[in-house]
Amino acid sequence: MTAPQLLFVAGFLAVNVVVAATVVLVLRGARAVDGGAWSAGGVLARLVRLPVERAEANRWAHLAHRVSGVAILAFLVLHLLDVSLYALSPARFDEVHALYGTPVMRVFECGLLSALLFHALNGLRLVAVDLLDLSARAATRVLGVVVVASLLGTVAGSAVILAPVVTGGA
Amino acid sequence: MALISPARRTPRLRRRAGYLTIRVTGVLLAVLALGHFALTHLFHDVAETGSVFIAERWASALWVAWDAAMLGAALLHAAAGMAVLVRDYRTEPRSQARWVGGIAALCVALFILGAATLTYSALDPS
Repeated sequence: MTAPQLLFVAGFLAVNVVVAATVVLVLRGARAVDGGAWSAGGVLARLVRLPVERAEANRWAHLAHRVSGVAILAFLVLHLLDVSLYALSPARFDEVHALYGTPVMRVFECGLLSALLFHALNGLRLVAVDLLDLSARAATRVLGVVVVASLLGTVAGSAVILAPVVTGGA
Repeated sequence: MALISPARRTPRLRRRAGYLTIRVTGVLLAVLALGHFALTHLFHDVAETGSVFIAERWASALWVAWDAAMLGAALLHAAAGMAVLVRDYRTEPRSQARWVGGIAALCVALFILGAATLTYSALDPS
């Protein structure tokens, strides 16, 4: 591995540390503000309620929006640094860019896609909630659409991104 | 972790500016960033998007404008969004100011880096 590649790997690890730290920060913050940890059983009991009672889902969306936002920003910092290598030397850039085609990075890119899709669609939902003055019930229903669309988009996109790994092209 | 005290709230005008920045750049980014990801990972395989791909793309003014708009919108969105998080998770006013200032400085530095890369590469496609 060359020095720029090692630096990229170090940056990539830092991105993952930032994401993990953000999950801890956001969950601890939610606990401090709303009180109590959520046991898996409690969460499940909440999710199987009727849709109209699922306002709880909005709070989870709020937390997921924060985590996905910080995750995207952490990757953006790394991405801007690696693209700026192109101006210094296209050959150096290609060395680092080759890492994006590795299986580990492809799996990361699927995660990035899921974060981007959820953050973008949920963000548009929040704009709609404000502009169209949606009720809590309607907002929760739109959240269902957001989650399903993000999942479907992630699965479909991941199939494309991971195809070279499966067929042995990467 | 202390709760947010109303007396120490950020001035209303600044919060409104942040709110608007997040919403406007967010709608832009839903198109620009998702379009960028789709182009570089779905329409093209990521392995094909090396320096040759960049050189071809930045030879077109449309893509330079796309990337410039995306760079500016993403960093404005990031700075305004992170300021919201800092105000929620750092309750000491001095600590808030330090974090918001540090994140703003990082975003300005990244904008300069990105804009310099884009300008240099678009003007000198060698």
